[in-house]
Amino acid sequence: MSSWLDRWREYFLSWYDEGAVEEKAREAAEFACRYVDGGVVSVSGGKDSMAMLHIIAAMCREDVDVFHWDHGPALMPRQIEEEILQNIRAVAPRARLVVRRYSLGVSERARVDWRPWYREFFSTLEELGYRHHILGVRADEGKRRRVRGRVVDRGRWVEVHPIYSFTWRDVWAYIFRHGVPVPRVYYVYAQHVGWDKARLTTFHDREFEKYGNQIDAVFMWREKNYREEKKRGVETGGDIGRGFQL
Amino acid sequence: MTPLKVVFFLRTPVALGFPWIFFDSLIAHVALREELGERYYSLPTKTPIDRIPDLPLKRWRDVYVASVSVFEHEAELAVYQFYKRGDFPFPKGKIRRGSGFFKDFIIRAAYVPAHKVVFYATGELEEVERLVKRVSALGKERNVGFGAVKEVVVEEVEEEWGLVRGGLAMRPIPVKLLRRYEDAAYLAYKPPYWAKESVDLCAVPFTHVELA
Repeated sequence: MSSWLDRWREYFLSWYDEGAVEEKAREAAEFACRYVDGGVVSVSGGKDSMAMLHIIAAMCREDVDVFHWDHGPALMPRQIEEEILQNIRAVAPRARLVVRRYSLGVSERARVDWRPWYREFFSTLEELGYRHHILGVRADEGKRRRVRGRVVDRGRWVEVHPIYSFTWRDVWAYIFRHGVPVPRVYYVYAQHVGWDKARLTTFHDREFEKYGNQIDAVFMWREKNYREEKKRGVETGGDIGRGFQL
Repeated sequence: MTPLKVVFFLRTPVALGFPWIFFDSLIAHVALREELGERYYSLPTKTPIDRIPDLPLKRWRDVYVASVSVFEHEAELAVYQFYKRGDFPFPKGKIRRGSGFFKDFIIRAAYVPAHKVVFYATGELEEVERLVKRVSALGKERNVGFGAVKEVVVEEVEEEWGLVRGGLAMRPIPVKLLRRYEDAAYLAYKPPYWAKESVDLCAVPFTHVELA
């Protein structure tokens, strides 16, 4: 594992210069600075949003507002959620962190019915009242994102994508160069599905069944049998045992 | 009941839906398929069958003395990705399969390129042998060629290794049945393995345990 990771680290570090990632990061920071006042940096804890948060905190402003959405224990194992919050605090210690938890996220229903998620998520965004939402969306991620554009006016708020022109190589190069912390589960998935396809999404979620999440049951088997009654003082599946073996 | 070692020699790598294959589950699957015949393939989904046929395996308390899969030679997991057309009622005319409602499924199969899979169990030799001979493939994605079985050998062994071998749990064992355990997780420990009722806090396979 370590030699595999070392080889990739070497590759990404060389890509940092070759791909002019430093220049892209400066341009992204300059762009984001225009929207930070009255705006919020939305951070899922994944590689893109963590790299973006690092760029903004290091090159723009440290005391930004950061919004993080906690999907709840049924969809996001608690050790990963804790890791995400630690990472955000490490990257932007002076940020004002706003965390909201999905109310259905403690229920197994959250794994099969995702419509309430969208309703609650968007009403939370509205309730927060920020004009600009700064997101780690990249054009490289897919056709729908490519046609979306760098600034999208949603009416009630405006979505801003500072790292829109970054590729997956650029993001990993930035992460390795600056030591940006990302959840360790990335390395488990990257080893098996590739660095370009390793993404942080909810786990054991039927919404992503079409996108090959069958491997969650093999790599994240501890969390597969999440049960609601465990929230009543007893541990959840994810909190027991030794966690990931890296 | 005899302590047994069941060895499946494989033609192709075995794809997994969970880190292990459970031997009691495999036997239950074959026994039920044999009992129901063609009806096995049209079981109601809203009221799934909740009866498990009598298995020719020894039970210790609530647990079958049957191990999980041991892969030989130990190989690292790999992932194979392929695309599956959805089984919707497709409309007439042109549709997009690259995006939207009819988008093809991405299937990612985690597989082990093992040459043989070994199970330990305690049961009726002849009946177990008869049932395992009916297994043509192991694991998931068998319809695309994963886990094809070349040969099955069932042999007697001296000791009972279906539960514990050398101090290591050979299957999930509920912690309430253990005096000591090293690691625990919520796992299904009896067939049907998909049912919530089968899940309990169990010792993780291949970790140190001591039976109560």
